Amino acid sequence: MSDDAPGSIQAPGSDLATCGDDDAAATCRYCGRPFATPDAHDLHVGDVHADACTTAEREAYERALEAEEDELFYFHLRVVAALAGLYTVVVLAYMIALGSGIL
Amino acid sequence: MTPALAVADAVTPMGSRALGRGVTEVLARAVAHVGGLVDAVNTGTVPSWLTVATGGALVGASFLFTSLLTDHEGIRAVNGLRAVVPTTDGLRRAVVAGTRALGVLGLVLVLVGAAFGSPEPRRNVAILVVWVGWWAGFTMSTYLVGNAWPLVNPWRTLAERLPGGGDVDLPSEWGAWPAVVGLLALVAVEVVSPLASVPRALGVVVVAYSAVTLLAAWAVGPDAWFERADPVASVFGVYGRAAPVQRDADGLGLRLPGSALADVNATDDRPGAVAFVVALLWSTTFDGLVTTPAWNDALTVVVEAVPVVPTDVTAVVGYVLALVVGFALFRALYRLAAVRCRSRVDTYLAPAAIERWFAPALVPIAAGYHVAHFSGYFLSLSPALRAAVLAPLSDPGVPQLAVLPPWFGTLQLAFVVLGHLLAVWVAHALALEVFPGLLRPIRSQYPFVVVMVAYTMTSAWVVGQPFDAPGYL
Repeated sequence: MSDDAPGSIQAPGSDLATCGDDDAAATCRYCGRPFATPDAHDLHVGDVHADACTTAEREAYERALEAEEDELFYFHLRVVAALAGLYTVVVLAYMIALGSGIL
Repeated sequence: MTPALAVADAVTPMGSRALGRGVTEVLARAVAHVGGLVDAVNTGTVPSWLTVATGGALVGASFLFTSLLTDHEGIRAVNGLRAVVPTTDGLRRAVVAGTRALGVLGLVLVLVGAAFGSPEPRRNVAILVVWVGWWAGFTMSTYLVGNAWPLVNPWRTLAERLPGGGDVDLPSEWGAWPAVVGLLALVAVEVVSPLASVPRALGVVVVAYSAVTLLAAWAVGPDAWFERADPVASVFGVYGRAAPVQRDADGLGLRLPGSALADVNATDDRPGAVAFVVALLWSTTFDGLVTTPAWNDALTVVVEAVPVVPTDVTAVVGYVLALVVGFALFRALYRLAAVRCRSRVDTYLAPAAIERWFAPALVPIAAGYHVAHFSGYFLSLSPALRAAVLAPLSDPGVPQLAVLPPWFGTLQLAFVVLGHLLAVWVAHALALEVFPGLLRPIRSQYPFVVVMVAYTMTSAWVVGQPFDAPGYL
């Protein structure tokens, strides 16, 4: 791995190869990684280059984080529903298999 | 097949099937109610398809649970926990010298035992040391404790003492591919030859491996050979990354099991490194697959369809072809998952880069299957191993076998599941490091989870099948 811009931590995976990035919406100015959407770029800069980034980048990061938090809440609702569904199906399958002899 | 027979066979996986056949009759008489993988899968009235489906559901559920953990800093802190193991220079030197001597002594014991020991496999010190002591016992220690192979490795100890050499350059662009080819070749030899039942055959293979290894290590230098090309050292190196004891710049450290796999600066970026981990995983599956009735039925069809060629030749070609094709299929599936992952999270990382990033997460799965297959085998044959090591060349009589409690089979299934749970955790931690935000890392895992669920169910099906000795060999 090569050293990053001074003052920033070594970005995890910054040495990973990229391809097909001609239509990149934004490129990280610290480690050169291309991103398909501006919010992915903002999240990356604020998280990985937290020590080096400017106030504007910091604010963009917090906005993107907030937007994602709402989305994450609804995502987690679906995860909990999926877990409950899976649990029900497994318990029912065992009840039927062990109790009735149908299966 | 009686349950006891099934048990005896269930505890005799890779490299030990023939030995298992020898042990079977003893076990059948002495051990009536031992738990084994087959027992656990077929117990009671739980139909086997439900056991298989439950394995898949557990992996899926563990992914869903992990996706609730979004405290990136917290996950990083848990995986970074480390305690220094205090050592002194004197102690270190003594342990290094002692372990090296023990390794060379072990090799001598195996060679002498193969040449002059009892022809009966379960009384022969070479067979027991190689399969029970080394491939079952020592391998378990590499991922459960720490990788001591660089010290134990007798060929490395010997190669470092050879004068001269080191003139040939091992091209670095070959990466881990020599180790991939070596591993597949060793698995092929192990499956098609009576290495676990005929001590002389084992001796010949050990001598051949020694000759090739010493010559190659002398030519390219021991460091280059054992760190980049030797398949055995590479297997232990990969397993060792899952171990709690890790050696780093500060000496020996104690980590949480598997957490070293989530280190972001430890991904192996050599060409073929991903292929090696996939080959390790596939060889574990392949070894179980060739003992299923379904495999033997398919092989019979193929062998009978080719009437001119001798059946054993067709069969050997069939085994080798299945090994290579299966490896290619596993490799292609992993690539497919990486390509799907790429489009899922809309990243510009190359598919090869994604594969490499998540390859460490495959290691706990391979370790989980290894411990599930070998813990029972190791424990039940360890008294025979002890007797053989204490009196290598005298016939110890009827070998002693330990009786495992009935719940042991369930424990073995739990190891398989534990390996997958650890894999999901490692992949989650790695995803959070490489993809921005929280939702992208979680979504990036969808294709891998699908592949993992399919793989768990396939493996659960394989371990639940009745043992059928590989045919035509």
